[in-house]
Amino acid sequence: MRPAPNYFIASRKPLMTDIENRIVACFAMVFPNLTPDQIAAANSATVPEWDSVAQINLLTVIGEEFGIEIDFEEFEGATSFGHLLERVRALAASA
Amino acid sequence: MRLSEALQINQQPLTPGAPARKIHLVSGLTPLHLETMVKAYARRRFPGDSVEVVCGLFGDFEGNLRRIAAEEAGGALVVVEWSDLDARLGMRASAGWGEAATADILQQAPQTLRRWIAALSEAARAMPVALLGPTLPLPPITHFPPAQANPLELQLRCAWAGFLNQAAALRGVRLASDSALDLRSPHAARYDARMDLHAGFPYSVAHAAAVAELGFQCLFPEAPKKGLITDLDETLWKGIVGDAGVENVSWSLEGHAQPHALYQQLLASLAEAGTLIGIASKNDPATVREALARSDMLLKPSHIFPVEVSWGAKSEAVARILKAWNIGADAVVFVDDSPMELAEVNEKFPAMECVRFPSADPAGVVELLARLRRAFGKSEVREEDRLRLGSLRAAAEIGEAEAGGAASPDFLSRLNAQVTIEYSSSPEDGRAFELLNKTNQFNLNGVRYSENDWRGYFRQPGAFLAAVSYQDRFGPLGKIAVLGGRSQGPAVHVDFWVMSCRAFSRQIEFQLLRRLFDRFGAAEFHFAFQSTPRNGPLADFFRTFFPDFTGEPLTLTRERFDAACPELFHRVSETTHDGH
Repeated sequence: MRPAPNYFIASRKPLMTDIENRIVACFAMVFPNLTPDQIAAANSATVPEWDSVAQINLLTVIGEEFGIEIDFEEFEGATSFGHLLERVRALAASA
Repeated sequence: MRLSEALQINQQPLTPGAPARKIHLVSGLTPLHLETMVKAYARRRFPGDSVEVVCGLFGDFEGNLRRIAAEEAGGALVVVEWSDLDARLGMRASAGWGEAATADILQQAPQTLRRWIAALSEAARAMPVALLGPTLPLPPITHFPPAQANPLELQLRCAWAGFLNQAAALRGVRLASDSALDLRSPHAARYDARMDLHAGFPYSVAHAAAVAELGFQCLFPEAPKKGLITDLDETLWKGIVGDAGVENVSWSLEGHAQPHALYQQLLASLAEAGTLIGIASKNDPATVREALARSDMLLKPSHIFPVEVSWGAKSEAVARILKAWNIGADAVVFVDDSPMELAEVNEKFPAMECVRFPSADPAGVVELLARLRRAFGKSEVREEDRLRLGSLRAAAEIGEAEAGGAASPDFLSRLNAQVTIEYSSSPEDGRAFELLNKTNQFNLNGVRYSENDWRGYFRQPGAFLAAVSYQDRFGPLGKIAVLGGRSQGPAVHVDFWVMSCRAFSRQIEFQLLRRLFDRFGAAEFHFAFQSTPRNGPLADFFRTFFPDFTGEPLTLTRERFDAACPELFHRVSETTHDGH
């Protein structure tokens, strides 16, 4: 597992898992205006920029980060940080 | 480039006051990652500048192409796929793949392509256009097995080739190379079926990056390098000429030295396209002279200037060549087989690209040839490119210092010099645009113009262009100076002025100003001068009129000009082209 970018390490709790750090970094690339705390609470209803294009970008960046192929339709309902984290953790566990 | 990298590049901060660049992305696809990638390549090339990528409507390639003709932008990247020619050639349509459909597709295609060429022509009048595609395979629409070419594909490709042939002839249109795309993006990894069916975007991320990069390079090509300095032994030929003898160095297939023939062949081709070729070799001058005179040399003596052969340091020879060429180290590539020599030159000239000739590695030589074409490639060879070497050689032969030092009036009076000034008020002069963007020393302010800026300049009231060609008894120099300004009542505002260093010391700059004062009946000229690290020669010219000139915008009156202008000996002809 690669370490998360330094700018996130500095602002996150030390107990946060590596997967979570990396998902936060992916969110920061797609939603650069969100703070790490806002990312942790983000969902498509509360983040105006989270449209269908942003969803595809987010899933693509997560796919690149973890080296996995993401089925967009399977992830269609994953429209919050928590959901996405849960799905990726499940994928990582089954890999 | 990965999507995450592209997103990070696009989020980099803008430089306050930096230019805003607009690029049209014309396609019938959902732009998605292609838009992100185009923006990232633009931001990487123009760091700090604001970049806006404008996309059209999904599924309306032709309408999108037609609409940009009424827009202003730095350029348009046009990416076309077979499904834009006919939706039935894409995977999102389900209108049937029978014989009736293929016959209808073939019937419609020529008409569609005729409309496209008209729209492309209009678009290219408004902005530079790079055209790329189709990049994806046709669907399995016919009954033929995939291993066999089928009439539909052959006829479509034939129609497409005809379209490209017409497009290539349009001014302002550049076609991206399919071969170059093949090298960057393997066919099997291009199509993303899931994304196509889900979002209308058929490219894998890697393919989107390759398309964006290639298209962007076509749209905004890097300025080519100007000169190449080469070693001789184990580089231009196989063998050590001082040891083996003039007759025993080789560059032939039979002599197992074909890589050296290929290299010579490339250098000759570069020279004919205007690249300066010089030689820096540690050798005996007489032996080298004899070797270079061999009739079977592919690189001819007429292609080479200067030849610096001595036992001194390579960097000293390189310095002398740069002085003869009067260009900066950053515009030059140095090729040698010795890592030690490369390091020694690179230490003295860190900006110079120093490249090893891999004499024992044919694949490495082939890669080197491609690398040199990348560094020196140009889409157009102008008359000035062919004249460059001859004029430098002539200047050296008469012992004239090109970079400075005024020649005597007696010498100038015997030059039989002819100055031709072409006036116009349109942006059609491609050589003038090129000269403006590559000249550093005699340059009013160092401002570079995009093609869009260039077109926009001539839309201003009173804007004009004066382009100067020159020849004397040593031969023609071609078009060597360009001045752009705006005539407003009794004053002329000069916004740009450049002159090639090949034309220094001939008092052409005085002649041009004299003629401009006469033409416009102007009482004064305002020059938008700005000091740059390299435009000392133009500052020196202004010191003829203002000895205390320190490098700020200035006003030159007719009286002051006449008082300081030296006697001029040129014959002058002036022509006016409207261009519209």
